[in-house]
Amino acid sequence: MSAPTRPPDGPPEPARSPRSSLMQPGGWRLQKRLYTSPLRELAAVILGVIASLAITAVLVTVSGAGVGESFRALYDGAFGNKDSALETLVSATPLILTGLAAAFAFRAGIWNIGGEGQFFAGAMGAWWFADTFGGIRPVPLLFVGIFLTAALAGAAWASIASVLKARYGTNEILTTVMLNFVILFILSYLLGGPWRSPDTFYFQTERMADNTFLPRIFSDSRLHWGFLIAVAIAVVVYLVLSRTSLGFDIRGLGINLTAAEYKGTNVGRLIVIVMALSGAIAGIAGAGELTGIHHQLQLDIAVDLGFIGIIIALVARLNPLAVVVTAIAFGGLINGATNVQVVTGIPAALVRVIQGVTLITVLVAAVAVRYRVVTGKRDE
Amino acid sequence: MSDIWTEGFILGALVSTVRIATPLLLAALGELVAESSGILNLSIEGTMTLGAFTGFLVAFETENLWLGVLAAAAGGAAMALIMAFMAATVKINQVVAGLALNILGIGLAFFWFRSSFQGGSSLDIPNVKTFQFVEIPLLSSIPWVGEILFTQHWLTYFAVLMVPVLWLFLNKTRYGLELRSIGHNPEAVDMRGINVVPRQYAAVVFGGIMAGLAGAFLSLASTGLFFPQVAAGRGWIALALVIFGGWRSSWIFIGALFFGLIDATQLSLQATDIDLPYQLLLALPFVLTIIALVLNRDRSRSPLSLAIPYHRGER
Repeated sequence: MSAPTRPPDGPPEPARSPRSSLMQPGGWRLQKRLYTSPLRELAAVILGVIASLAITAVLVTVSGAGVGESFRALYDGAFGNKDSALETLVSATPLILTGLAAAFAFRAGIWNIGGEGQFFAGAMGAWWFADTFGGIRPVPLLFVGIFLTAALAGAAWASIASVLKARYGTNEILTTVMLNFVILFILSYLLGGPWRSPDTFYFQTERMADNTFLPRIFSDSRLHWGFLIAVAIAVVVYLVLSRTSLGFDIRGLGINLTAAEYKGTNVGRLIVIVMALSGAIAGIAGAGELTGIHHQLQLDIAVDLGFIGIIIALVARLNPLAVVVTAIAFGGLINGATNVQVVTGIPAALVRVIQGVTLITVLVAAVAVRYRVVTGKRDE
Repeated sequence: MSDIWTEGFILGALVSTVRIATPLLLAALGELVAESSGILNLSIEGTMTLGAFTGFLVAFETENLWLGVLAAAAGGAAMALIMAFMAATVKINQVVAGLALNILGIGLAFFWFRSSFQGGSSLDIPNVKTFQFVEIPLLSSIPWVGEILFTQHWLTYFAVLMVPVLWLFLNKTRYGLELRSIGHNPEAVDMRGINVVPRQYAAVVFGGIMAGLAGAFLSLASTGLFFPQVAAGRGWIALALVIFGGWRSSWIFIGALFFGLIDATQLSLQATDIDLPYQLLLALPFVLTIIALVLNRDRSRSPLSLAIPYHRGER
C-alpha cells in the first residue's frame, strides 16, 4: 500500500509560508517566542549556572584536584559559617553597586563600561572631602558630604563620555574604557606626589581619621553600613525603573532609540542623566569601600570591581533586585575561590574564569529559552 | 629643554614608533575584516591577552618561538570561534558577547598563567628569548630610514604587508566585496545564494588570529614575558583605530603609526629628565584616543549592518 495521496481534483496545497521552508529535516524547527516570561529568564540563569559549574568541574579536574573537594572548599569559603557568610556580604557590597551602575545604564542601551573608573573617581572624591572637611560635625553630616562628593565625582567622570556621546555621537564603550585608564594614571600621579603619605614609599595616602570610618553593622565583622546603603539603592533603582516616568523613558530608549525619538524623548538629555546616575552609583561604591574597608586611598582598592559589576548586571538580566542576589553569589565565589586555593592549591584566579564562563553560558541559555521547538504537525 | 631633541632621541623615538604600532596595526586590521562582515568583535583586548599567553606558554615549554606564534594564532582563533558562535549563530547582542569574551579571555590567561608558573620566586620571572630584529639586506644600511623601517621584527613586516593585501582583498576580490556586502546588507547577499554565517565565521576567526598575533608580538617579540596586563588597553585602542581609520586599511595604518609616535615620544620623554609626571605621559595615548574619536565623526564608511544580528526570514 502506498501512502494516501491527494486526489488530483482536491483542494490545492496551501501556499507554504516562508517560515515553513526553514523546517529542518525530521519535521521540526525553532520558533521564536513573542514573549519570554520572567520564569523562563530565571530558568535560563539556572541553566547557565549549571553549565558553568560543569565547565568549572572540568577545569578543576584538569588542574589535578578533586571536584567534590574543590566545590566543598568553594562553598565553605563562601557561606560555610557565619564569619565567611558575613565576609561574603562584605565582598558583595561594592559589587551590588557596580552591578547596579551597569544595569541602570544598560537598560537605557547605554554601554557604560566605565564603572571601574567611576568607582575610583568616587573614592578620590570621598578621600578629598574627608581630608578637607574632616572636622564637620555632627558625624552623619560628614558622611553625607563624603558620599555626596563621591556620587558627584563618579557622575562627573561618567559625564565626559555621555556629553561626548550626546553631542558628537562618540562611542561611549570606547570612551568609558579609555577613561578607566586615564583616571588610574591620574590617581597614580596624585598618590606619587600631592596625596602621598609622607612616611611611606608606597603609593598610598595617609590613613583616614577614625571618625570617617563607616560604622560596622556587627562588632565582630567587617560588614559595614555600605551593604545596607547598596541594598537600599538597589530598591530605589528598581522603583525608578519600574514606577517612574524617567524609568519608562529609560526602558523605552533601551528598546528602541528611534521610537523614543518619535515619542518626543530628549535623547541627548536622557543619555546624560542616565550616565550621571550610573556614574554616581559607581562613585558611591568607591566611597563605601574607602570609608568602610580600606581607610586609605591606594591603587588596588578596586581590582576589576567595575568589570565584575558588568558581568553581574548581565547575569542578573539587568534586573536591579536580581543584581543584589547575583552580587552576593559572586562575592561568595570570590571568597570561596581563595579558600579553594588554600585547600587544593588551584589558583584563586579560577574565579575569573568562572565569572567569564558563567556570563557566556547564561547569555546563550537566555537566547535558548526564547525559542521553542515546533514539530511539523503543530505548524500553523 | 632644547637639548632633549637630539638626533639620538628622535631616531630612538622613530624606531620605537614602528615597533609600538605593530600590535595595534595587527589587531586593528583583523578587526577591520571582522567588522566588514558586520560583526563587531569587542573582545580584542581579551583575545590579545590570551594569544600573548598561549604563545608565551608554548614558546616557554618548547623553546621554539615559531610554535609559540602558532599557539598565539590558535588561541586567538579559538576565542574568535566563541565570538562567532555567539554573534552569528546564537545572535546574542554583539556588544554583550564581546564584553563577555573579553572577561573570559583575560581571566583564562590569568588563571592558566598562575596554574602553569606557580611557586616560582618573584626574582625568577619566567621569560623567553625574544625574536631578533630582521635586517632587510641593503635597505637596512640606509642611514636613518634603514634603522627606522628596515630593522624590525618579522611580525612588523607582516603587519605592514597586510595593509595593501587587505585593501586588495576588500576592494578588488570577489570574496572580499561579498564580505563587505554582508556587512552592509546580509539579506541581499543571502538571497543571492551566498551562505552568510560561514563567511562571518571566517571573517571573525581571521580577526581573532590577527589579535592573537598581536598578543604574540607583545610576549614573544617585544617583552619576552607574560603578565595579565600585557595588552594594556591596546585592544581597545585598536578598536578605536578602525573607527578612526574609517574602515580603510590605509588610514588604519596611518592611525597606528600616529599612536606609535605618540607613545614612543612619551616613552622617550620619560627617559629624559624633563619635569613632567610620567603618569600624565602614560595617560596621553588614551586621552588622544578620545580626542581622535571626537574629531573623526565620519561614520559614512561604517558597515551598515555592523553589530546588527542577521536573522534569516525574520523581517
